[in-house]
Amino acid sequence: MKKLGVFTRALRNVSRRKIRALLVIIALSLSVAILTSIPTGIMANQKAAEQLSANYDSYLENMQTQITTASTLLEVSLSPGFTAAGFGGRGRPEGGFGGGGFMGFMSSESFFNETAVSNITTIDGVAAVIPVLEKSEGTNETRSTQFGDFVFLRPEYTIVGVPLDNSILSNYPVLPSDIIEGRTLGEGDNDAVLLSTNNTEYFGVGVNDQVNILGKDFTVVGVYSTTVTQEMNHLYMSLPEAQTITETEGNISRIDVYAENETAVDSVYANITAMYPEFYVNTAQSRLESLTTMAENQGSLLDNAEAGLVETQSVAYMEIGIAVVATSLIVLFTMLYTVRERTQEIGVLKAIGFSNTNIMSQFMLEGMILSIMAGLIGVVIGTVGAPIITQLLLTGFAANTGPQANTGSQMAFRGRQIGIPGLTVQSTIATPTVELLLIVFAGAILLGVLGSLYPSWRASKTSPMEALRRE
Amino acid sequence: MNELTLKTENLDKIYKLGGRQVRALSDVTLDIQKGDFLSIMGPSGSGKSTLLNILGCLDTPTHGTVFLDGVNVTKVPEKNLYKIRKNKIGFVFQTFNLMPWLNAIENVELPMEGTKLSKDERQKRAHELLEMVGLSKRIEHRPHKLSAGEQQRVAIARALANNPAIVLADEPTGNLDAKTKYEIVRLLSKLNAEQGTTIIMVTHDSQVASRAGRMLSLNDGKLLKKEKKGSHVMNLICSHCGKEIRADDTFCPGCGKRI
Repeated sequence: MKKLGVFTRALRNVSRRKIRALLVIIALSLSVAILTSIPTGIMANQKAAEQLSANYDSYLENMQTQITTASTLLEVSLSPGFTAAGFGGRGRPEGGFGGGGFMGFMSSESFFNETAVSNITTIDGVAAVIPVLEKSEGTNETRSTQFGDFVFLRPEYTIVGVPLDNSILSNYPVLPSDIIEGRTLGEGDNDAVLLSTNNTEYFGVGVNDQVNILGKDFTVVGVYSTTVTQEMNHLYMSLPEAQTITETEGNISRIDVYAENETAVDSVYANITAMYPEFYVNTAQSRLESLTTMAENQGSLLDNAEAGLVETQSVAYMEIGIAVVATSLIVLFTMLYTVRERTQEIGVLKAIGFSNTNIMSQFMLEGMILSIMAGLIGVVIGTVGAPIITQLLLTGFAANTGPQANTGSQMAFRGRQIGIPGLTVQSTIATPTVELLLIVFAGAILLGVLGSLYPSWRASKTSPMEALRRE
Repeated sequence: MNELTLKTENLDKIYKLGGRQVRALSDVTLDIQKGDFLSIMGPSGSGKSTLLNILGCLDTPTHGTVFLDGVNVTKVPEKNLYKIRKNKIGFVFQTFNLMPWLNAIENVELPMEGTKLSKDERQKRAHELLEMVGLSKRIEHRPHKLSAGEQQRVAIARALANNPAIVLADEPTGNLDAKTKYEIVRLLSKLNAEQGTTIIMVTHDSQVASRAGRMLSLNDGKLLKKEKKGSHVMNLICSHCGKEIRADDTFCPGCGKRI
């Protein structure tokens, strides 16, 4: 035979009113689930925002270093530097900041005749003139932005043709330096291509494999790795081969001009612009200025995004507050009703010798049993449904990076889409931490205690005589 | 058997009802000795229940003192009265007031919760008490599976759980039919006779009251001077025709109807 104790009785009292207990537990557990999932979402977003901010800072730092190291480089092209010949790794312009995010409605690639190369070579103070062809290949895609719908080329890869000339390759950073497999390109390489790690995935090939690019077979001589977002899809080959397969014979998209020294940069700049007024020429100076402008623009975007996050968080905290109050009120009213309904029972218990403390602890225990059960269920729902509930309650709050992560990340803050080019945020999965679960669980019990406090106190203060009279 | 168990001196109880004073008890002085079986009669509103509540430490008098087992309970602070209720008093109610979700033995165990007895000892004692009231075979039944008479037996066993100095019964037969009424009163007088339990029983049924050793009457809060001696005999009458019947009759010998 089961032995009777305070706990057994409390359990039985709770189970006496099954439907009520069930309803209370459902309501409470939903509150608890909200308490579990919202902070989880907030934490995930904070992490994403911090990561974004940190990435952005290191990106700027990186760019600055690169610009300063390539202080003698002048980039010559038909597009303004900001979009077409922006900031590339190792001083090589690689399509600028507009990698498909906020800035980029994909800069149009403009080509010009390579005769310019020999003309620029004649200018005094020029150390090297390097023609480059850069052409993106991919599919057209429509993307909706806050400015309307835009059709743009979603690049799958970018063909980069450079002169495979040892005197250039050994002195200037034309090819990527971080070769992780195979070798880099060298003078005399034919039908050879250097792929990025992204390219190997896209084409499904490795070193020494054959790969067909725009109808021509190439041998993969090496694979390089890069952290510069704009270069992640670049594949390198000799300039003539690039011109052939892209059907741009005799044309190039950019000339990298190296001055003999920093003092010569200004005169070289003046000579080129005099010779070709239609060209845009970027010096380290102008690139630095552009970078500053961009840093300011993007910085304020990031600030806006962070302000949005703060705003969203305060809404989230308000929602947490509402959940806390609602939880306490549910317990409060249920227990008040229960106490009212059981007045006579309280009278009898007092008559047969139960103390006020006994009665109070009995009702507190019942409230706590409800809260513990609801807490357990709520924590489970909260864990499983954290991402879903977070999305439901905080529309657009989640940081997301999709498959286009490499073309610029997007972080949605309450429906405000902000893409900061060149930055990626690893997708954050909202998973509550063990600490949070413990805190929420303890919180649920605390709320149960708080909600039961007044009703239990009222129960304990019930006059036994009054209670017994209610028959 | 002349030990004094309960003694009241000049008890007054005045209620305030909407600014009007109502005197529920007036100058009640009472001596109850150990082993007494006392019945208090009186019409409704005469103060019977008020007196019982004060004797049971559920209520306090406006004036006067109550000595229970040598303790002046009117001096005991309200928050400590539960100890006296637990250890010295057993209550039997008109509506039984059993906990519906506890079975018979658990109901009897309930007052022993928080005493020095272990769970096993409590169970053993509850079992003995149920045996004493003749319910040893129904200990696992919940109240709704028991008849009214059986429920009152459980309630009596519960009242005896902590071996109280006094059992207070408030209209214990008020909700029972004639035959069950007889059984319950017989049980009470048996407990009184065999165990020496002191019993104070409030009733407005003169038949039931006459079963007690001492009969008191209250009227308008005053104790009538004349105290009757009970007959210890209770005549059973048919509720249909009023003819006298015997306890083991199923049908009334007078009118033939089921009792």
